[in-house]
Amino acid sequence: MISHLSNLSKLSFTDDELEKFSNDMSSLIKIVDTIKEVDIEYNPIADNKNIYFNDLREDIAKESMATENILKNAINSDNCFVVPKVVE
Amino acid sequence: MNVTNLKIREIRDLLDKKSFSSVELTQAYLDRIKKIDGELQSYITITEDLALNSAKNAQNKIDNGNSSPLCGIPISIKDNICTDGIKTTCGSKSLENFVPPYNATIIDKLNSQGMVMLGKANLDEFAIGSTTQNIFAKTKNPYDFSKVPGGSSGGCAASVSASLCAGSIGSDTGGSLRQPASLCGVTGLRPTYGSVSRYGLVAFASSLDQIGTIAKDAHDCAFLLNSIVGHDDNDATSSKAKTIDFASKIGKSIKGMKIAVPKEFYDENNGINPEVKDTVLNAAEKYKEMGAELIECSLPSLKYAVSTYLILSSAEAASNLSRIDGIKYGHRSTKGETFGDIVRNSRTEGFGDEVKRRILLGNFVLSSEQYNDYYERALALRQRFIADYAEIFEKCDVILTPTTLSTATGISENIMTPSNIYLDNICTVTVDIASLPAISTPCGYDSNGMPIGMSIIGKKFDEATIIQLADAFEKSFDAISPKLI
Repeated sequence: MISHLSNLSKLSFTDDELEKFSNDMSSLIKIVDTIKEVDIEYNPIADNKNIYFNDLREDIAKESMATENILKNAINSDNCFVVPKVVE
Repeated sequence: MNVTNLKIREIRDLLDKKSFSSVELTQAYLDRIKKIDGELQSYITITEDLALNSAKNAQNKIDNGNSSPLCGIPISIKDNICTDGIKTTCGSKSLENFVPPYNATIIDKLNSQGMVMLGKANLDEFAIGSTTQNIFAKTKNPYDFSKVPGGSSGGCAASVSASLCAGSIGSDTGGSLRQPASLCGVTGLRPTYGSVSRYGLVAFASSLDQIGTIAKDAHDCAFLLNSIVGHDDNDATSSKAKTIDFASKIGKSIKGMKIAVPKEFYDENNGINPEVKDTVLNAAEKYKEMGAELIECSLPSLKYAVSTYLILSSAEAASNLSRIDGIKYGHRSTKGETFGDIVRNSRTEGFGDEVKRRILLGNFVLSSEQYNDYYERALALRQRFIADYAEIFEKCDVILTPTTLSTATGISENIMTPSNIYLDNICTVTVDIASLPAISTPCGYDSNGMPIGMSIIGKKFDEATIIQLADAFEKSFDAISPKLI
């Protein structure tokens, strides 16, 4: 299971780490497993009033951050992010 | 007069009366930081030049009669809140050299008032955790340097407690303002979800994260909160509700107010330390003497609080942290030939163990085979918590609980074991799950002199009432400051 999850999570582990993280995950899953004993059903409609995402702004184009600023924290060239070749 | 011991309102008054200048005040804090913070490590970055410059500008404003509430007041800012041109590391190797090209909305708001930022306060990596120990800095508890300050806003709480700033702005996802405030003997306020814009707060769990304040007392917390609340077009979940003066109820009588005491929070089977329990119940009695009415009540679903929180927050963390790929910003691995390898190696090298555990757990509960058993069930439980709290609030004005099960533990004791890292959050997480406001204030000290905190939980957007009650208690409480130089 842990190797499947590490693929999903884009994380790598050495063999020693894998054992440690498997143990940690077993402890964590033991905690969250208590939730399985509750007889409960989720009502997605009810969340409309519980959590509001009702304040979406008008879709009006406005000035955004300068490309130069966006690239400041990345390896960049010619106003682009630089990555290894992805298309042969 | 030791200016660093003053409360924000006192500083405001004395700055306006020209008893001292903002530059003198800022220098006094910086001198104290130099003396104490080498060991305390409440700051991860100290912005000395910027602070002195801001103080000069603030003093000009004051001298020209253009002062505002926070003009010239030195504060610390948690290092997961983006500051334009100033490193924002989130305590993570993955963002070790990240310099945001923009300000969080609250930073713009504070800057427009002439706030003086002394530095960025330490935290658990990505605000995930409750000990404020990371690879860059290991924050100590000002009351006992061998103990943790709590977390994840442990740098904020320790810097306020040690008088290394007048107040602090942090964030709270599962108790990250209240728990460290409690362990460091100061006051921490988590406002209602949606009160303060989250734009520029590095996301941990977006449906739970909320920016709030830590200060020497509830009135100061209200003072700080007044300056950062309000709707923001850049945060679709920020509320459009009209904001009020959060200090408006301070000083009013609490006679006849109804305070609910949910029995599960005080149940020793849930792990509460008897000293903590007795101290918080004594505080409840004090409210009774002030004329409030105590009401017994029950929150039976509390036993599922930690599971619900871990599932929801880890699922959201796994999704939010997927943006940390080493390509657009952050640590980029030099190992790997392909795009996929670079992303994977960057993440593996950049994240600490606790963050990795939560990402794994998050992807576990969201995976197609497990989704219904865990994530959907946690969403259902969130609805139950919201309904249960609504029912309790039909009969009372506020709810009183302990903030933590015990006082601060030793730094060396905090190796990861499920019991001490996760289950301890039981007193705080339901507030975040139900999007409620809560304030933690000191209500006593244990036999070793370590602070004990109590939490007052309010109805949505009723911060003014919990601030009123915390203030009423604080006025009759003899707080003991940590013994530092």
